[in-house]
Amino acid sequence: MDKISYIILVPMVYAAFAVLVLGVSARLVAILRTPRELQTPIYPASGAPYLRALYDSFLMPQVRRHAPVLWVFLMAFHACLLLLLIGHLELVAQMPWEKAFPHQIFLGKGFVGLILAVSLLFFLFRRFSSPVRDLSVPEDYYLLILLFLTVIFGAEMDWARNWYGYGEMGVDQYRQYLTSLVTFHPALPYEVTSAGHRFMLVLHVFFANLFLMVLPFSKIMHAFLALPVNKLRRG
Amino acid sequence: MDDTTRDELLRLFESKLKRAAKLYLETCSRCGVCVSACHVYASMPQAKYIAAYRAEIVRRIYKRYFTKKGRFWKSLGESKELSELALSELYEAAYSCTGCRRCMVFCPFGIDTQLIMSIAKLLLIGAHAEPEILSLLADTSVAKGESLEIFREGFLESIKTLENEVVERWRVEAGQTPIPVDQKGADLLYVALAGAHSIVPAAVVFNAAKENWTLSFFEAVNFGAFVGDPVKTRQILDRIVNEARRLGVKEVVICECGTAFRVMKSMAKNEPFKVSSITEVHARYIREGRIKLRKNTLEGTVTYHDPCQLARNGGVMDEPRFILRALTDDFAEMSPDPVMNWCCGGGGGLVAMGEDTLDFRMKSASVKADQVKKTGAKILATACENCHTQLSNLNDHYQMGVDVRFLSSMVADALE
Repeated sequence: MDKISYIILVPMVYAAFAVLVLGVSARLVAILRTPRELQTPIYPASGAPYLRALYDSFLMPQVRRHAPVLWVFLMAFHACLLLLLIGHLELVAQMPWEKAFPHQIFLGKGFVGLILAVSLLFFLFRRFSSPVRDLSVPEDYYLLILLFLTVIFGAEMDWARNWYGYGEMGVDQYRQYLTSLVTFHPALPYEVTSAGHRFMLVLHVFFANLFLMVLPFSKIMHAFLALPVNKLRRG
Repeated sequence: MDDTTRDELLRLFESKLKRAAKLYLETCSRCGVCVSACHVYASMPQAKYIAAYRAEIVRRIYKRYFTKKGRFWKSLGESKELSELALSELYEAAYSCTGCRRCMVFCPFGIDTQLIMSIAKLLLIGAHAEPEILSLLADTSVAKGESLEIFREGFLESIKTLENEVVERWRVEAGQTPIPVDQKGADLLYVALAGAHSIVPAAVVFNAAKENWTLSFFEAVNFGAFVGDPVKTRQILDRIVNEARRLGVKEVVICECGTAFRVMKSMAKNEPFKVSSITEVHARYIREGRIKLRKNTLEGTVTYHDPCQLARNGGVMDEPRFILRALTDDFAEMSPDPVMNWCCGGGGGLVAMGEDTLDFRMKSASVKADQVKKTGAKILATACENCHTQLSNLNDHYQMGVDVRFLSSMVADALE
């Protein structure tokens, strides 16, 4: 069991990041190397197409107008995703902004994970009913389930600390583990291998690894493509 | 389908995989926000008429042949073989889409379904499964460009017969030709459609505005664009571009044909002449005081249908409203935002396909008929030949009780 945990927590993490970086780079290069074709924007054309594309990509005004409930969940999901990304970065090393804005690592007191999990369930259940069901392909369901599993095990660790006072495995241990990975001297702190809820960490990292590995080959590439594709519409 | 045909079709598919097409094929998250965008789906709510569903029919073939994921794990994205059945699905998707791009306004990524449908249309041409009439019409246009001398005399004669009509409606000064053709040194080249309705009112207004203009030998409509053939689209366009260069005009003005205007505006960007629609030119004449219109001679409320290729896809939205306000005080908008106006349901070659598509065109555009009825208008103005035909058909079918009018005719009729 320890061996499997080690494989997931160390070599698989490296493999996942390698696939992510190489995969995303290869996909972006492949797209950017293709010649441009003539493309008509939607009028009235924007005077500042890049700014308009940024607005479209980050605030999704089209969704707000035509599917307001979906928009609330999408905005909540993506905003929480950003907070989690910052949280994970802060686990790797002390970030310069930590001193300017002193805060507890992983903002939101556990609610960020909860919002993410609920949003993912909303996206999933939405796909069970027509007409979105008619548009969906298996990939759409697999990705949502994979994300949900990643989030739920990650959030549980947060909830254990925040809501149930479980202090055995905390920020210091996570930071020790992640710093060791980043400096290429992988080491698993004692708490990480022995804590009662270590399976949560192992499963969280396992599903996250899987997610990172499929990301370059999935529609999650919209994280990188939303801006250039929106720019086409704005001229 | 045999392997040679499939390979040939896949080569055609690959020829369309430029940057925008790839971005559109890779980015869709099937979120379903576009569900309510399509007039066909709004009129006949079946999944196959959702913009993302149409695009997915092309995307599934893309996944199967152009992505590793789709090749090795077919069920993941339901990637699909290119087969005879796939071709019939492509036909239904492409020729039930009018290319209005309303869905592009709804999509959080701005995916252009029309561009994806152009891949389907090219595959259909490769498989000789496209609507034959559209290819025939495109071939005729190309042939006219290649052997103008054969058509020249007949064309000039038919124009002569229209000149009296022009003179009857607006006096011409001594020595002035009512419909000048092939005039070197003209400032403006007007590209009309076949038919007096597209030439006479325009000529009347040009003469009233004392414009130094000349009429093109060629008709504006680009059947190459309707059938989705990039080579023929370019050939048909180049006939006019070459004529404009030869005559040295400063401006090419496209008649009331949305597709012709969009194709010319987007593909002749770097030419030494400006491209305008006749609607823009008429608005300019009114603004500059070159023509004066009699106001409030129209009976009843007037509403305006934005042709998709002219408005959303061509940027001509304020000018028709400016003209209509110069014509009447009783103008009613049919949509609060012209960008969101419903398509009439006749674009993408559907009107050109005539009776074959009539039943579908009527069923798929009931939302348009409802929208027009709600305005309570007596006159329905528009600035596109296709839209005019489709709206007239809708008027008969749904008994909308409106008079469908060309905006340019309304301007010509109201000249002071």
